[in-house]
Amino acid sequence: MLSVLLNSPANTTINYLPIVIQLVVAIGFVAFMMSVTHLLGPKRRTSDKLANFESGIESVGNARQPMAIKYFLVAILFVLFDVEVIFFYPYAVNFKALGKEGFLAVLMFVAFFLVGFIYIRKRGALDWEE
Amino acid sequence: MILIITASIIGVVLLFASFLLKHTSSLLHLVTVLFAALFGVAIWEALQPTAILTQSFYLDAIRVDRFTNQFNVLITGCLFLYILLMKKHIAAVGKYKAEYFALIAFIMVGIFMLSSFNSLLVMFLGIEIVSIPQYILAGSDKENLKSTEASLKYFLMGAFSTGFLLMGITLLYGATGNFMVSEFNFLQATSINPIALGGVLLLIVAFGFKVSAAPMHLWTPDVYDGTPTPFTAFMATIVKVAAFVGFMRLFQTSFTAISSSWSLVLAVVIALTLFVGNITAVFQQSVKRMLAYSSIAQAGFMLFAIISLNAIGRQGMLVYTVAYSVASICFFAILIKMKDYTYDGFNGLAKKQPFIAALATIYMLSLAGIPLTGGFMAKYYMLKAVLFEGSYMWLAIFALLMAAVSVYYYFKVIIAMYFKEGEAAMIDSFTKEEKLYLTIGALALLVVGIFPSLLTGTI
Repeated sequence: MLSVLLNSPANTTINYLPIVIQLVVAIGFVAFMMSVTHLLGPKRRTSDKLANFESGIESVGNARQPMAIKYFLVAILFVLFDVEVIFFYPYAVNFKALGKEGFLAVLMFVAFFLVGFIYIRKRGALDWEE
Repeated sequence: MILIITASIIGVVLLFASFLLKHTSSLLHLVTVLFAALFGVAIWEALQPTAILTQSFYLDAIRVDRFTNQFNVLITGCLFLYILLMKKHIAAVGKYKAEYFALIAFIMVGIFMLSSFNSLLVMFLGIEIVSIPQYILAGSDKENLKSTEASLKYFLMGAFSTGFLLMGITLLYGATGNFMVSEFNFLQATSINPIALGGVLLLIVAFGFKVSAAPMHLWTPDVYDGTPTPFTAFMATIVKVAAFVGFMRLFQTSFTAISSSWSLVLAVVIALTLFVGNITAVFQQSVKRMLAYSSIAQAGFMLFAIISLNAIGRQGMLVYTVAYSVASICFFAILIKMKDYTYDGFNGLAKKQPFIAALATIYMLSLAGIPLTGGFMAKYYMLKAVLFEGSYMWLAIFALLMAAVSVYYYFKVIIAMYFKEGEAAMIDSFTKEEKLYLTIGALALLVVGIFPSLLTGTI
């Protein structure tokens, strides 16, 4: 078995066999441990145990409450700028290859982003007191 | 190409116009000027001596050809008519007046991309740029629960169909290693690649969703009904036609050689679309909802351009663009003034407003496909295209039957206007300009009906 694995050329199906074995073992281990704890472990259900764990403090009220829209806006803005930054990584790698045209394209991309940002500031998305 | 840039700039300018212009009337003047400029640029670009050649931009990701130019002129013309008729109503929808126009300008960017893509990536971008502003427009009437419902429904279903689109593109890329639609080598080969076929099927589903073809049409009535009427008029006409052009461009360029493997699927989709659209439209009480189903029914006819894969189909698409968009936009412009959107709301309109009733009759006749109107010529070209192709005789006969059914619900409006007694209560009266634009629309329909070769030209 091992010799087959070692002697086979790279990138054939047999090379992936160890991964499959690892996968089966991993899933099997989890399934085994879960079922064993369920079968062997003692079960004591009390109301304290079933309550949500809040760092030892008794939980108060319902967690499903309306959330300030400001938080949502900030989260969305974060995602936008996050995406912008992600675009910079591949650009940094290809900085030389893309040359002047690539630089102009990225400038335009950032410019459009700035336009959007200026717009959202003017609309008052980041004014906290309201 | 310049058109795409112009439309983006117009969008950005309109975005900031709300800070600079305090009065609605000055904003509306600016909007008129900007969209007139867009129309002008489209005409200018089509009149260039190079316009009859195929030009490529951005590493061949965008290809502008003769059909693109001709279509761009027609669609921006329809858009201009739409803006002229609807600008007052768009500004009345909600608080963010300038933004609505900006979103429409951004949608136009996507439409121009859909009419000129050569890479699947640009096609995907085009579809998304068209779709995302539409979700916002659908929910622009924030006080109205139905509008919010329409927006959410549209967004969820649209996101779902985007998944199909991306999976289709992925499979095609996996099969060919190429994004360029004009270079799908395997599609010319005799051996058929199953991965690619899966991709083509998923693309049919995704585009079928965007053009609301049955059985992917279920979102259409609710979304069109809930969306504020001025935006329904836009979504049901200009955007839908553009999605068709993208659909046709992709399938005619790339998948002609393997058409035998997918055309039967599309034929079934067409038959279903025609059946569901027409039969359900018959039972509607609200005219707005009837127009939503009628847009599904008309989509069935437009799909003929894709299945027929010939030049007549492309010509038919251009005629359909004008005939369907102009008639629907103008009729929506009349509907929006009515107090009651049911058929009964139209009772007695002919006595109260004989001129408007006569115009509405022309639009309805055109949508029903009565000779001498643009709608007749559009349907004629589509049927001719599919008969020319040869293998779908049964589909053409079925379409004719369904067109006969459609006459019933379009004529119901005419009957309500002329032969029933009633008040026909209106929210607002028509200004002189609006009457002029409506007349221009009706004249355009008649001209297209009599001289369709003006549009089709030499394509």
